[in-house]
Amino acid sequence: MLNNIATVLSRQDTWRGRSQRLPRRAITTGHNNLDLLLQGGWPISALTELIPQQPGIGELSLLLPTLKYYADNNQLCVWLDPPYQPYAPRLASADIALDKLLVVRSKNHAEWLWAAEQSIRSGALLLAWTKQPPPRYADLRKLQLAAADSGNAAFLFSAPSALSAPSPAALRLELKGMEVNQLLLTVRKQRGVAGGACLQLSLGEANTQRTNLTLLPADRHRTYPIQQLNN
Amino acid sequence: MLKSGRKSARPDIWLYLHFPLLPLETLLPQVPTEQAQKPIAIVNQQKNIQRVLCCNNQAAAWGIESNLSISTALALCPELEVLPRQVEQEQQLLQQLALVAYSFSPVVILNNSEVWLEISGCQQLFKGYDALLQELENRLRYQSITAVNGIGQNPVVAKLLCGSEFETQLPDQTEIQRRLSNTELNLLETNRKQQQSFKQLGLNTVGDLLALPRSALSRRFDSELMLTIAQLNNEKPFVAPRFQPANTFRDLIQNPQGIFNKESLLFPMKTLLQRLCQYLMARQCHCREIEWHFEPLIGESQHMQIQLSGSQNNWSTLLMLSRLQLERLELPRSIEQIILHADQFIEAPMGVFNLDLFDDQQIAQQSCELIDSLNARLGIDALSQPVLNQNYLPEQASTLAIPGKHSSTAFNQKLDETLDEKQKAPQPLWLLTDPALVQMRNQQLYWRQPLTIISGPERLCGNWWQAEQQRDYYLACDSKGARYWLFRETSSQRWFVHGLFS
Repeated sequence: MLNNIATVLSRQDTWRGRSQRLPRRAITTGHNNLDLLLQGGWPISALTELIPQQPGIGELSLLLPTLKYYADNNQLCVWLDPPYQPYAPRLASADIALDKLLVVRSKNHAEWLWAAEQSIRSGALLLAWTKQPPPRYADLRKLQLAAADSGNAAFLFSAPSALSAPSPAALRLELKGMEVNQLLLTVRKQRGVAGGACLQLSLGEANTQRTNLTLLPADRHRTYPIQQLNN
Repeated sequence: MLKSGRKSARPDIWLYLHFPLLPLETLLPQVPTEQAQKPIAIVNQQKNIQRVLCCNNQAAAWGIESNLSISTALALCPELEVLPRQVEQEQQLLQQLALVAYSFSPVVILNNSEVWLEISGCQQLFKGYDALLQELENRLRYQSITAVNGIGQNPVVAKLLCGSEFETQLPDQTEIQRRLSNTELNLLETNRKQQQSFKQLGLNTVGDLLALPRSALSRRFDSELMLTIAQLNNEKPFVAPRFQPANTFRDLIQNPQGIFNKESLLFPMKTLLQRLCQYLMARQCHCREIEWHFEPLIGESQHMQIQLSGSQNNWSTLLMLSRLQLERLELPRSIEQIILHADQFIEAPMGVFNLDLFDDQQIAQQSCELIDSLNARLGIDALSQPVLNQNYLPEQASTLAIPGKHSSTAFNQKLDETLDEKQKAPQPLWLLTDPALVQMRNQQLYWRQPLTIISGPERLCGNWWQAEQQRDYYLACDSKGARYWLFRETSSQRWFVHGLFS
């Protein structure tokens, strides 16, 4: 009995009166400004929904520090139905142990949901990409509950059309690319805080130099006769 | 080979196990429940006459006993169910029982349906001999096997002292000697001629025989009996091969009525997995792979393999994985025989018992279990891991492999080289498996939307021994800030998208 009470009290979603609230558990995102915005970082024991406006704007780079944190911790990172193949040299250069990554392809929606729930419940970090048609509210709620039980972070990448639908996720972030390496994050839903906060995040140095196509190829690879070089 | 008469500080304690109803109990699991309530007898062919070998209690109530001929038995009890003896299945069951014995003592002898154990060193592990005997009886009863035992200072004495029930109290030396002297001589395995001369000499018990001077005995009896007497007195060793568990595991359960749905398959599967785990415990190893065969009465048999990413010796996990994989399998309509086969073992890791002390190990265990269950439900081709290869062309530098097939050391070695490359040029996180052709619209690159080159080029040459690939890689972006990895093939001057930076 005592054991059961301890389990209930250790959960994030148990209300214990105003003063006795547990500090919100989170893991750092690796970006100071974002940590401030999210009150400590990515919520653990909760589902986080990321909604990039289009693929390729930097949504995955945002999670690289988290991936590294989990892989260093010897935990498995499951990539469920990623849109493309992860490029191993880039991941290796970010110091992420490749044998901790697992790419899973599901054949139908039932498999997708089962694999997502299993991964969350087995203490792995889940990165799941939704497919068409988008998962139902009840399915996502299942994942949110699994995450609340397991104490791990779980990330869901949804299509922009999901913004108009309600979601049980504890945190919803809309991602927009401003220009190269500049990401605009808008909080669409956050527990305990009104949504709508924005943050512009810089991922690495911005290279704004543009090259006109007609000027290509650059001279770098043109072969010069040896005498000419010596002169 | 094992010699029982070795000289050691501790006197040997030999336990003889006899299974009087073994032929019947081998066949009982295959008999339907309602039929098992009826009188059943197992018969054996002996010199053109079929004789009753053993029977159940219901048949014994009709007056059936062993050595009756089949016609007499049927005359006594017309509704008697007569089953022929299955020697091969009996031997399999004996192997299992020897395995049970092997988990109690390292010294086990299995010799033609007779099992001996030497238990003198196993007192501490089981907290006393009586507890050991009690535990052994429980284990045998759990397997629904009737066993009787005998205890002595050597195998021959133990066999001679075998009683009619399972004894769970260890007798002391004087008690054993007393029982031995009181044992009737007709229990001694000798030919009829010798037995007759016992009677003529007025010898009734083993004690009477051993009391006579040895020289007088050797004049009257043959060398075989003299060897037995020497063995009884611990003067000559009893020689027999020591039991070792087999190198591969193969076990089956037959169900002549047929199994028609997957749910009812699970119970026999559980039994087989429990036997496998008993075998793994005895050999102190874990298995890496198990294989199931489901054989119908008519038609093709089905099989499924279960690969384990970590090693396992836990039947409930194995059953869970088998169940997940079974859901994907198309089975024949009725299954008569289920076979479990395992031949890939590794030694059990040390310190497996204090698993809970190390959090790290537990996480690794959880990861292995997750991989296994995903594997069982989604199939092996659904899972992959990115692997780094030593190659210049991006599509060959990064490939996907089956989880657990590449080592993590390879990753560390290559890391230094990739670090150098990192300084050279940015690399994308996503790679398109097949490079996508980029169109040209109004002097501008177009893939889903107009693209602008930011930086480049970087030339990559590779595979000069095949068709040479020479590519210039560029970094491009679109109006929304997404970055792309483009290349232009120098030979054809065509543009391709090869990755997304994301």
